[in-house]
Amino acid sequence: MAIEIHTLPEHMPNDALRYVGKPVNRVEDPALVSGTVQFIDNLSLPGMLHCAILRSPHPHARIVSVDVSAALAAEGVVAVISGEDVKRWCVPGFTAPEGWGNYCMAVDKVRFVGEPVAAVAATSRYLAEDALELLHIEYETLTPVCNPEQAMAPDAPVVFEERGTNVMLHRDYTWGEVDRVFAEADHIISRRFRWNRVGANPTETFGCICQWDLADNSLTCHGAYQTPRFMAIGRAASLQLPANRVRIVTHPQGGGFGGKGGPRGTDIAALLSRKSNGRPVKYIEDRMEYLLAGGGQSWDRYYDAALAVKADGTVTGFRVHLVDDQGAGAEGYGTISAAKPLAAFTGNYRIEAASYDLTLVATNRAPTYPYRGYGPPPHNLVLESLMDCTARELGMDPAELRRQNFIRPEQFPYTVPSGNEYDSGNYEAVLDRVLEIADYPALRARQAAARAEGRLVGIGVVGTVEPGVFDWNAYATVGVPGVGVPEGVKVGLDVFGNVSVAVGFSLQGQGQFTVAAQVVADYLGVDMAQVKISTASSDVALPHFGQGGSRLGVAVTGAILGACEKLNAMFCKVVAHVMQAPEESIVLRNGRLYRVDAPEHGMSLAEIAGLMLSRSDLLPPGVEPCPEATYVWTSPNRNAPDDQGRCRSYLTAANATHVALVEIDRDTGRTHILDYCIVDDCGTRLNPANVEGQLQGGVAQGVGAALYEEYVYNDECQPLVSTFVDYLMPTIHEVPMTRKDHIVTPSPVSPLGAKGCGEGAMHTTPATILCAINDALAPLGKEMLETPASPHRLWKLLHEDQATSA
Amino acid sequence: MKPAPFDYHAPATLDEAVALLTRLEDEGCDMKIIAGGQSLMPMLALRVARPEALVDLRRLDTLNYIRDDAGTLAIGAMTSKQAAADSALVKRAQPLFHAATELVGHRQIRNRGSVGGSFAHADPASEYPAVALVLDTEFEAVGPDGARTIPADEFFVTYMTTSLETTEVLTAVRFAPFAPQRRWAIQEFARRNGDLALAGVALTLNVDGGLCRDVRIAAFGVEATAVRLTAAEQLLEGQPAQAAQFEQAGKAGAAQLDDPMSCIHASSAYRRHLIGVLTTRALGEAAARTH
Repeated sequence: MAIEIHTLPEHMPNDALRYVGKPVNRVEDPALVSGTVQFIDNLSLPGMLHCAILRSPHPHARIVSVDVSAALAAEGVVAVISGEDVKRWCVPGFTAPEGWGNYCMAVDKVRFVGEPVAAVAATSRYLAEDALELLHIEYETLTPVCNPEQAMAPDAPVVFEERGTNVMLHRDYTWGEVDRVFAEADHIISRRFRWNRVGANPTETFGCICQWDLADNSLTCHGAYQTPRFMAIGRAASLQLPANRVRIVTHPQGGGFGGKGGPRGTDIAALLSRKSNGRPVKYIEDRMEYLLAGGGQSWDRYYDAALAVKADGTVTGFRVHLVDDQGAGAEGYGTISAAKPLAAFTGNYRIEAASYDLTLVATNRAPTYPYRGYGPPPHNLVLESLMDCTARELGMDPAELRRQNFIRPEQFPYTVPSGNEYDSGNYEAVLDRVLEIADYPALRARQAAARAEGRLVGIGVVGTVEPGVFDWNAYATVGVPGVGVPEGVKVGLDVFGNVSVAVGFSLQGQGQFTVAAQVVADYLGVDMAQVKISTASSDVALPHFGQGGSRLGVAVTGAILGACEKLNAMFCKVVAHVMQAPEESIVLRNGRLYRVDAPEHGMSLAEIAGLMLSRSDLLPPGVEPCPEATYVWTSPNRNAPDDQGRCRSYLTAANATHVALVEIDRDTGRTHILDYCIVDDCGTRLNPANVEGQLQGGVAQGVGAALYEEYVYNDECQPLVSTFVDYLMPTIHEVPMTRKDHIVTPSPVSPLGAKGCGEGAMHTTPATILCAINDALAPLGKEMLETPASPHRLWKLLHEDQATSA
Repeated sequence: MKPAPFDYHAPATLDEAVALLTRLEDEGCDMKIIAGGQSLMPMLALRVARPEALVDLRRLDTLNYIRDDAGTLAIGAMTSKQAAADSALVKRAQPLFHAATELVGHRQIRNRGSVGGSFAHADPASEYPAVALVLDTEFEAVGPDGARTIPADEFFVTYMTTSLETTEVLTAVRFAPFAPQRRWAIQEFARRNGDLALAGVALTLNVDGGLCRDVRIAAFGVEATAVRLTAAEQLLEGQPAQAAQFEQAGKAGAAQLDDPMSCIHASSAYRRHLIGVLTTRALGEAAARTH
């Protein structure tokens, strides 16, 4: 039976939706605000040991010897592991591209500062850390490779010696007649950009408790896991266990943002449990470990890019040359991050041809990991900055240049040169509305007045497309093997008519439990208070992916709708049988199943569930006594990529335009954000409050990337950032409270018309702020082409003409 | 990120504390006094500081007070910074010290952090030492030989070092009356609200008939300890309290710095530049202040 997934809320069998589309309170919040959520560090198991990890102080060194004897003899210490144990029991973790991986702990040599070298399990974390000081490691230091330029030099030291090169991947994509459009262009606008390392910093770092059952040879891992099913498969592979012997119990997480690098910590805790005769071992990554090498570093990029532009402002071509410093290995699937821009390479625009020359390089910096947005934030910064450069060169208003190049509403579905199909949108309406709420003419007048006083005031107007709901093919383009991206749920009723929903993911902050509860309550016509959402562990959960790729709100909605459709069909069958009526005459509407021709004859959901569970004699043939249904949703209509990586990868294309007004203090170089407006269009807003939270949070991270955050390394490849004194997350004082509105263009292809909306603000904010800064600098003829645009960098730029040494 | 092992002591009285410190000193013990712990605890957790013993002053309630002592403001060393920030007496009697207190960290930090702890810790980026240098400030300490009073210009020695003996407990800080007509300002440059300052300036002056008198300017966040910008002070003495003079004073103050610190957020040259900017701006702010 083909299941039809409704693409509009009004298609649900309910005359008056109570929850979908409304800013209902989140079901997650009572536990969060009352402090009863069981985060992993709140959990203790009987006999539990605590893990501490010794990390490499060198960016590149051979391990000559490891002496663990003194540590093993120390108070409270039960087990110690080092590279020798890992070599015996493990294989290197999965990487993309393949074969650029490390073991969970250094074997024979270390490749970055912070790489685990040995680990201790002891009766307390204090004793475990004391024991680390008794480990004796002898290193023979090697010359580090500090950046891509060094890495690609002819005689460069090689980070992964078995590979013989530091170039992990080089690909050159061409989409359309790029050479021709550049040859025919009236203007070629080109710049080089440097995006320095930033990354995810969730409130809670990674943590887990692993227990190896030596009798069953199985492993149970409780932890803060973002993608539990992948974690189970990955641990089975790296620890050489059958996949059905690894059970992941995911706990609510204090944020994720893609950066929680769980594999290493999990494998190390698991091996310590194995070596401690199966005692549970807890590993809580501390902030210093996280900042040094915990999976929170992303996007270390060097861009050289150009636009081909006609005299009238029509942009015809976009060339991007990217060198991406992946750090010491591809365990964070950096290929995928570099490839994601294919889903919206040319942004909002009708750019007819594009090319992408992509080089991923290994260095002795920490491996890079996913971060919210997964690649487009730097890419959009490049594209949108070039649009602003174009506007300046042509003497056009940047908003109008963008309007002129927008994809038109009647052109959807629209296939971009890099292959993805945008489902729907109305970019001009979004632009018009944001210019209206920002009062753009007034902002320009304010800018003119400020400039007359010699002040540096600038405006950024930046629109982007947010590819939402990724699928397997998005990453097949860069050789990542098939990783399915399904979302499965089970929906069941009890005899009282309560609804239970089992999902595969856990709380992370975005509110998908609430979305699931809203959709199921409105479909079945029950009160949200009757709905309970819970997380199934990986051994019993249906195939699922969880948070990632701006997909879960949409995907879980699709899964709930699918399961409800199956319940609906089954209940109609049962009711028809009981009432001795034709099946087609029974409908579900407003929480009740009844005869269309005699609505007074019907049954409530509780009556049906009760009958099914208790009176098997009354059930029609073939119907089991089980008022439950499962559904595994995945994006419809996906296809395989061609030889240039082109495919329908992301199901939805949300869109937003941000307007920022900034002022740069000439004397100090500090940028003040004076005003910030957003209008977005993510189709149906399933829970407008959740969407607003996603927007405001994305702006915060965007402000961080644009102005504050940076993982700094020195010339010897030593990280200079290891605490929040140096890694500057913006706080509530630094992040503007945005003024917002929205447009609704429902997706014609997604469940209830909703579009992925988890990353768009992060896609847009860094570009908006940098464009505003460059607009402010325009009268001086200067440009800031590096992030973060810190006060020190801006001061140097402003004062470089003077004989000031900086 | 757990401290290395240490012995923990929490004496009940000041006498006990001094006796304990004296005994530990005699035993050759590397000990450290802990007050609010807002600076020391992270250093312990990072194992940057690893004393053999901690002497916690938290039980010394007698060191927790704010009082007007015949016009002199006396603040007990264990008084929390937030208590000082919330005190109407402090705000009225010592507006510069009060403003500086509000610049320290965030409220949560000020709730735990003590007034005495910041002075004794003598972090070069701290506002307090600079404020002490431009006010008439004295420190009271009690040691095995009894109590003594240390003027501010003898108290701060160098990077995180004061003239307190290891067996001495800082008990109070005393500020001489702040003349009502005296002008003041404090300005600092930090990357984020509440961060340690990359550069800062605290100053006091009189404006007498439009002329600057008795100017005192101290910079913080730039050298090993807070430093008086004497070149700027001398340049302003008797000069008109006007923008052009303030600009020159800023330049003179910046030029006077020996070798400002450097870190990933600010080079030495940038810090020097910032001191000039902040000096000029703070002078403008102070001159414009109406009482």
